[in-house]
Amino acid sequence: MAHATATKREPISAPAEFLRIEASLDLHFTRTATGQTILAASRQEPPLKVVRSFSLADGAALVHLHNVSGGLLGGDQLTLRAQIGERASVQITTTGATRIYRPRREAAPASQTNEIEVGANALLEYLPDAIIPYAGSRFSQRTSIRLAPAAGLFWWEILVPGREARGEIFAYECLDLKLDIVANARPIAAERARLEPRSRAMNSLARLGPYRTWATFYICRVGVEAKAWLALEDELRSLARELAPPGEALWSVSTLVAHGLAIRCLARSSRDVLRGLHALWRAAKNRLYNREAVPPRKVY
Amino acid sequence: MPIGALAHSFGLESLAATELLQASGLSSFLREILLEAGLVEAVFFRRSYCLAAPQQGAFSPDRWLELNDLLSARKPARESRNGSVSLGQNFLNAVATLGNFPILREALRTSKDSAGLIHHSTAFGLASGALGLDEDRAVLSFLHQSATSLISACQRLMPLGQTEATHILWNLKPAMIETAERSAACALDDACSFLPLPDWGAMEHPSLLTRLFVS
Repeated sequence: MAHATATKREPISAPAEFLRIEASLDLHFTRTATGQTILAASRQEPPLKVVRSFSLADGAALVHLHNVSGGLLGGDQLTLRAQIGERASVQITTTGATRIYRPRREAAPASQTNEIEVGANALLEYLPDAIIPYAGSRFSQRTSIRLAPAAGLFWWEILVPGREARGEIFAYECLDLKLDIVANARPIAAERARLEPRSRAMNSLARLGPYRTWATFYICRVGVEAKAWLALEDELRSLARELAPPGEALWSVSTLVAHGLAIRCLARSSRDVLRGLHALWRAAKNRLYNREAVPPRKVY
Repeated sequence: MPIGALAHSFGLESLAATELLQASGLSSFLREILLEAGLVEAVFFRRSYCLAAPQQGAFSPDRWLELNDLLSARKPARESRNGSVSLGQNFLNAVATLGNFPILREALRTSKDSAGLIHHSTAFGLASGALGLDEDRAVLSFLHQSATSLISACQRLMPLGQTEATHILWNLKPAMIETAERSAACALDDACSFLPLPDWGAMEHPSLLTRLFVS
């Protein structure tokens, strides 16, 4: 396993004492001859870190992403690159919520770039905790996922309105979220969302209405036929109806243009969201892989 | 043009069924839809327009397919996506028969040969370019037609009379103009839309027990 310890710290134009961090985390997973997935190589620049990978009973590898600075600060530019080798199986989770802190006024938005490649017949389960944007925060995230033939993906993101216990509800300044999933060189899912609560009210009926937490969940497996996705859409929709008491959360499920489906959730409480995502993930993984979905070992 | 637009609510039927969407809040709701989803469609419209405009040179089949693929990826709701494609296909087929438009025939052939989809905004944009229509006016026309279709759907979903519907459409004109103007300088990658509740409505439409609309 190779390590690089240098962290680039570059001044921005003004003021001179204000520094930002550019750092990346590169992870390369491969499957051994014995069927075990291992973290074959990594390149880690603080504050991003993976301590080690854990072997799961089904041969998959589990890693926890750490941000040793606790969260993202204004001007931080962080990059996660993950290559999931052919037939490898990987779970990536976080040790806690991703906190987006209020930046200095002069600072650029904090940014996170995710570049993911899932090899042929490989599987990636990306199961992070929520993103918590603090009051005044500015954040952009760009995710690019490429799926090879027969590659599989479970990828969710949960966005809460802020530090609710402190009364920070939609007090962030701007979130810019972009995602692209490409399978067999064709786009199958894309998101371009800009959330600016001050100018576009989040409680508008066109946005979240009476709900506060938003989640998106992509389930993909390249090569699965369209009718199988329609059947899974029906199954997951029925399951989703049982997940939350009426009025507490809205779940929706729909097949993508090819190779997968999307699930969206709007909820009054973030507690309902993670529980629901786990239930849907279990059902989908059982249907697509005939395998159990084992929640990552960590404190929930 | 009669292309089947009246058969689609694009998820509004689901929102009306839950009583989340009511006539009293319709004007501001539709304004937000126009400013976000409308912007995305307008940007794709303009990119397609450019494919056919005479001053742009030869039509690019690859770029035509790519634009429609990108827009398909931006539409996670199956029925609404299919609705957009149905309108787009019908529109382009209808316009192609109105005269000698080689670009439109090539676009139709390219999509058919590649099993590609044709969306409403891209079809409208391409046809507008091929006919030599003024781009800005054509975008406004598309946005106006889209808004009219949504209001018409609402008239069937809730107590919304003709007079009030007319007022809503009239009062949406500034939003249409703003959207059209913003789309002119907006990069494809920056055309953003965050409409979780309408998206929920569109994605959940297949589950409605009784349905007036196809989407």
